[in-house]
Amino acid sequence: MDNYLQLKDISLSYHTKEGEVLALKNIDFSVKKNEFVSIVGPSGCGKTTILSLISGLLKPSSGEVLLDGEKITKDTSIGYMFQRDNLFPWRTIYKNVTIGLEIKHQKKDKESLSHVDDLLNKYGLHDFKNSYPSQLSGGMRQRAALIRTLCLKPKILLLDEPFSALDYQTKLSVCDDVHSIITKENQTAILVTHDISEAISVSDRIIVLSKRPATIKCIQKIEIDRALTPLKRRESPEFSKYFDLIYRELTSEKK
Amino acid sequence: MKKNKINYSKEHKKYLKQIKIDKFTTLVAQVLLLVAIVGLWELLTYVGVLDAFFISSPSRMINELVELFKDGMLFYHIGVTLYETLIGFLIATVLGTLIAIILWWSRKLRKILEPYIVILNALPKIALGPVIIIWVGAGTGAIITMCILICIVITTLSMLSAFLECDEDKISLMRSMGANKFQILVKLVIPNALTEFVSVLKINVGMSWVGTIMGEYLVSKAGLGYLIVYGGQVFQLDLVMASTLVLCILACVMYLFVGLLEKKVRKHKE
Repeated sequence: MDNYLQLKDISLSYHTKEGEVLALKNIDFSVKKNEFVSIVGPSGCGKTTILSLISGLLKPSSGEVLLDGEKITKDTSIGYMFQRDNLFPWRTIYKNVTIGLEIKHQKKDKESLSHVDDLLNKYGLHDFKNSYPSQLSGGMRQRAALIRTLCLKPKILLLDEPFSALDYQTKLSVCDDVHSIITKENQTAILVTHDISEAISVSDRIIVLSKRPATIKCIQKIEIDRALTPLKRRESPEFSKYFDLIYRELTSEKK
Repeated sequence: MKKNKINYSKEHKKYLKQIKIDKFTTLVAQVLLLVAIVGLWELLTYVGVLDAFFISSPSRMINELVELFKDGMLFYHIGVTLYETLIGFLIATVLGTLIAIILWWSRKLRKILEPYIVILNALPKIALGPVIIIWVGAGTGAIITMCILICIVITTLSMLSAFLECDEDKISLMRSMGANKFQILVKLVIPNALTEFVSVLKINVGMSWVGTIMGEYLVSKAGLGYLIVYGGQVFQLDLVMASTLVLCILACVMYLFVGLLEKKVRKHKE
């Protein structure tokens, strides 16, 4: 499964009254199954736009996106995690987590429900099933948000800076947490971030984007033992080497 | 909670006591203020400094209420006004919210209707009085229509803005899970606007009384608004003041009910 997710020569323009803005230009890459890929780039370059394209929320001006050999449609199961957990404050954790099943009318499906229970048990949220989001810490809430997406058994997880709203300590531990859950559940994930260290600590590969219109500057393979936690990976000797490489790519002005 | 009480430090106990004292003195002052106003009013009219014929007096108001009660008319008039207000309040709230939902649903319709809604909102609805009487007839219908007109525009506008304020990320999340527009409306946009809905109810409690009394000024044969107008015309200030007092109490009770509802809704706000 070398080409689980494929973006084929994608370009995208935004249309405003003032004119047309080319946001993405010739974006072409693929992601393997169970791979963890990060996208880094200067702010406002269109990282989130790429996620919107993969999730089908946006359509490209040209080119196509294929997931598992098929075009993305409304029914393709995609997991999306945002900067904020976006839990609904009026729902209990359980009802928040199962909202996807509700939408897909699987609320009475025994198999799906036992999967939900499994996930809640495995990741320590079972005791908080009937709590409301306001009663949970930021890290727990983000974990609940992840389980919410996993309940639908998504084909791919899209992470849009999911740690950037947390304070530094929490960020590191939640990052470990989320990474281990994703690995255990054999998920394919794409993380968008502006934090180079974060990207190196979790990814198998990093895609570096240029300023707008965003093109791919380079794709860097990260060869640090995948069995290590992100926190441990930060301590590995290669870490700073990769940091240097990517930092230089990001700041270089060559076109 | 009770378990913790034993462990409170002296300082904390003092702090709690201070809060209690503060609450108590405020209440005492509030009651004293009322007693003072009523007492002074009674006293000044009794000794003749003020003319009770022009400003009535607490004892005369009570007498008036007792008289009305003896005639069996007190609860009749209260009933008429209460009925008109509640019906107007309910219809305006439900209809206004429904219109807001439709406007949320269709961006195009919203754009088209925007200037008309702005004009409707700015128009003093009382100006429509004669038109309403001609169209609906001079009766209860006209009063309820007036009440609805006064409440509905503000209901629609407030609810619409609450619906539109819904977080874009949350909508994207719902869409990424395959939700259709109806599911987004029912599972996200409406529950998200619940607190705003309670605020609208609060506003409408006040507005619906305004609407009903205005309606009664225009056409009524019964109700508290009728008593006030009638009392004014025959120069019977006791009746005017007594009816106003009853109106005050009724509006307060209705407001308290909405307050209770608000407590329930606010429990799980972020």
